Amino acid sequence: MIGRFVVRRIGVAIVQLAVLAVAVFFLIRLLPADPVARFVGLNATPEAYAAAKANLGLDRPLTEQFAAFLGLAGDGRVPGLLQGGLGVSWVSGAPVAAEVAAYLPVTLELIGLAFLVAILVGVPVGAWGALKPGGAADKGTLVYGLFAGSQPEFTWGIVFIFVFFVGLGIAPGPLGRLSPLTEPPDAITGAMTVDALLAGRPDLFLEALHYLMLPVLTLAFVLSGPIIKMVRENTGAALLSEHVLYARAAGLPARVVARDALRAAFAPSMTLIGVLFGFMLGGAVLVESMFSLGGLGQYAIRSILAFDYPAIQGVVLVISAISLAVYLILDVAHAMLDPRVTL
Amino acid sequence: MLAETASTVLAARGLTVASPGGRAVVDGADLDLRSGEIVGLTGPSGAGKSTLAFALLGLARAPFSLAGGQVLIGGRDLLSLPEEAARAVRGRDIGLIVQNPRAALHPMLDVGRQIGRIWRTHTGGDARAARDRAVEMLRLVGINDPDRRAAAFAHELSGGMAQRVLIAAALAADPAILVADEPTSGLDVTVQAQFLDMMWRAAKDRGTAMLLVTQEPGVLANYCDRVLTMEAGRIVADRPTRAHFAGRAVTARATIRSLPEAAAAPVVTAVSLSKRFPLRDGKAVHAVDDLTLSIRPGEAVGLVGESGSGKTTAGRCLLRLIEPTAGRVTLAGRDLSTLSAGDLRRLRAKAQIVRQDPFDSFDPRWRLGRSLREPLDVHRPDMDAVAKAARVAELIRLVGCEPAVAEARPRDLAAGMLQRLAIARALATEPAFIVLDEPTSVLTPDARREIVALLRRLQDELGVAYLFISHDLTTVAALCHRVVVMYLGQIVEEGTTAAIFDDPRHPYTRALIAAHLDEDPANRRVDRPQPDRVEGEIPSPIDLPTGCYLASRCPMALDRCGTERQALAPLAGDRTVRCWRAAELDTDNEVRHAL
Ligand code: SF4
Repeated sequence: MIGRFVVRRIGVAIVQLAVLAVAVFFLIRLLPADPVARFVGLNATPEAYAAAKANLGLDRPLTEQFAAFLGLAGDGRVPGLLQGGLGVSWVSGAPVAAEVAAYLPVTLELIGLAFLVAILVGVPVGAWGALKPGGAADKGTLVYGLFAGSQPEFTWGIVFIFVFFVGLGIAPGPLGRLSPLTEPPDAITGAMTVDALLAGRPDLFLEALHYLMLPVLTLAFVLSGPIIKMVRENTGAALLSEHVLYARAAGLPARVVARDALRAAFAPSMTLIGVLFGFMLGGAVLVESMFSLGGLGQYAIRSILAFDYPAIQGVVLVISAISLAVYLILDVAHAMLDPRVTL
Repeated sequence: MLAETASTVLAARGLTVASPGGRAVVDGADLDLRSGEIVGLTGPSGAGKSTLAFALLGLARAPFSLAGGQVLIGGRDLLSLPEEAARAVRGRDIGLIVQNPRAALHPMLDVGRQIGRIWRTHTGGDARAARDRAVEMLRLVGINDPDRRAAAFAHELSGGMAQRVLIAAALAADPAILVADEPTSGLDVTVQAQFLDMMWRAAKDRGTAMLLVTQEPGVLANYCDRVLTMEAGRIVADRPTRAHFAGRAVTARATIRSLPEAAAAPVVTAVSLSKRFPLRDGKAVHAVDDLTLSIRPGEAVGLVGESGSGKTTAGRCLLRLIEPTAGRVTLAGRDLSTLSAGDLRRLRAKAQIVRQDPFDSFDPRWRLGRSLREPLDVHRPDMDAVAKAARVAELIRLVGCEPAVAEARPRDLAAGMLQRLAIARALATEPAFIVLDEPTSVLTPDARREIVALLRRLQDELGVAYLFISHDLTTVAALCHRVVVMYLGQIVEEGTTAAIFDDPRHPYTRALIAAHLDEDPANRRVDRPQPDRVEGEIPSPIDLPTGCYLASRCPMALDRCGTERQALAPLAGDRTVRCWRAAELDTDNEVRHAL
């Protein structure tokens, strides 16, 4: 049954992505921008301008451009969308798919670690607050929730750099993923911590973690607020539920009752995690730039500033595909955890 | 009463539960439970019965809290024990069965595990033994295929099944005291009877002391040895059951109602009415199947059956509130299916419905006077404001309410009063026919009796015809001239009230009548043999049985029943029955009781 559900959802996702691909392709070309002028400069001769325009394929009719984008026409040198290609970057001349593949792991590593930290901290703190309402954890998180949510990631990033790098000196500067003097390990997965381990270099692993410390802290700091609040509320509601009252009446030990409440609270919390994930893809852009990590967010900004249409299209499609995949995974996990949910 | 006698297993003294504002919800309750004794706890809703039941386990539902008193179990006061010791007493010495069993079970754990872990907590057995114990308990409470059911989750169980799971859980650790808080509310009569029989047997066989919280006089009369009455947080009476009922007239079937003039043409007729709700996978729910029925002016026809029998759908099809899949309905001589929208709307004034929950019948923001005037605004453009106001006042008087209620809003009134006004509203357009869809089932027993008396009076005065849908046989017997019994979308028996109640012929009707609890402690169900009972619960209306629909549950089923569909056939004595063995049944040599 889950198999059928997954197949159906993937089918729907493909349709959604196809519609999105068409929409992005045409919308981007409606923008009042002139990418050719951007490439040749404002003082270029009309001949140079025309040559550049022909080079980018922008001289051809829109339908032909679209056919080339899909891979239905063109010279066949560049694989189109139907062949699994995302075109060639106008800036670098390299295939967009390869570039995205290089930048994406950095972003996923950052977001993944941030989620891990936020959940490891947020779930126990939220549960503690619900089990001991009005206690220290409960009051502390209330203050923290107001505080953390009051400023964007950007502000907290600067505060953390100032405190931990400039002030205390326990974090490295925002200069990238490793010290500039360190030779990076072979890029296998593209995620530095994983590649370091694959290369059998625990020292590099620790260094990579050290460099990720502040970016992860920045994202996790903002992310923990809603996670704590959600766990606190769902657990609180579960503790007031009939089944918890009944479990107490049946004489089950306090820790079993608490576990029951947490179990009931967890499943509905997963939906919010999906929403937060989409949110984080946006938040990561600023943090990556601030800490010079070179992730997909930075790539997206660069592409937009350069009017690099194929790159923009590629990034939008990949991010959407990832979001859809995350929602699907969460739905399947939810169904496996909660017998009431049928797919 | 003060000293703990040898057989007293629980004694509560001055038990008090307070609301956050300091109001006593349970106010100094004293009670004793003795082994082998079933004690009923009754009283109006809001009297604190449920709160008292929880307090006996040393628990209070938020936001209430325990504010004083003692609960002595085995010589120790549960309320002054340290939390860990009190916890160990709960479930081991005193078990609880609650009102809403599905909500009491954890939604994400299978029921076998939930039963097993309670047993394990109190006996220290291992996980394997706990599973075996759970399956054994499920079998004990009469669940078929307990191995498979142990792996079920709460949402997969019917209410009756979930209630059995809770008993299995409560009995697993073999406590000496059981507290059951309205355990049969929301269950069908046949399931209620199975359940209470089982509880009664458990108490008598094991010597368990039991507190049974209920509002139903029938339950008190049939199963309880002693009755405590609560009012406004206090226990105001503690008497043996017979004393509790002494002085109350046993609600006999108030004089069989004589039928109005038989010559009149039927006001409503349904011929071969069917309603199927198609499902996504090509199957369909067969809610109503080939229903033929006619009701004459001034006649009250009762439509009875378990939930899922299709009686509510049938009532709605008669008014064309939902579109029947097949069949024809004639109202006041006109075929509803051929009417134009305008004609249908005009005819609607002549046929009304009163719903189960009166709070659904009224806009909560409107004053009741405005709600009563609304049908006049729609159907009587000829009336001016003065005439309408006069009609509203007349309607309010007609149902025995004070004129001032016109200014009240629904939330200001009790359910019984509001149901009167819902009836008044249905009468506004002088209908010839009213469908009453379980109008008494959310009411207290007293309010129920009043509504029935009101309906009888209105019928005598106005000559309106009723289709009275109900699962409560006492009310049906008191109101109706004729009774139609439905099972799985079909009529299985139809006849006069006297015929159906005194000499039921279809095995399902017989089981229904036998499961009915008379409010008469001198004639208890537990004191007589019960040959007429159907086992288990109503099958799914999607995959219908191949033969007689009752075959899987029928005590009289033979091989032939499993293969042969049954047809409604007339039988002597002005009735029709859908069972080929009906003619064999003779009630002479069986214990029948007057209802
Ligand atoms: S036909 Fe058979 S199974 Fe059906 S009610 Fe009659 S005896 Fe029972």
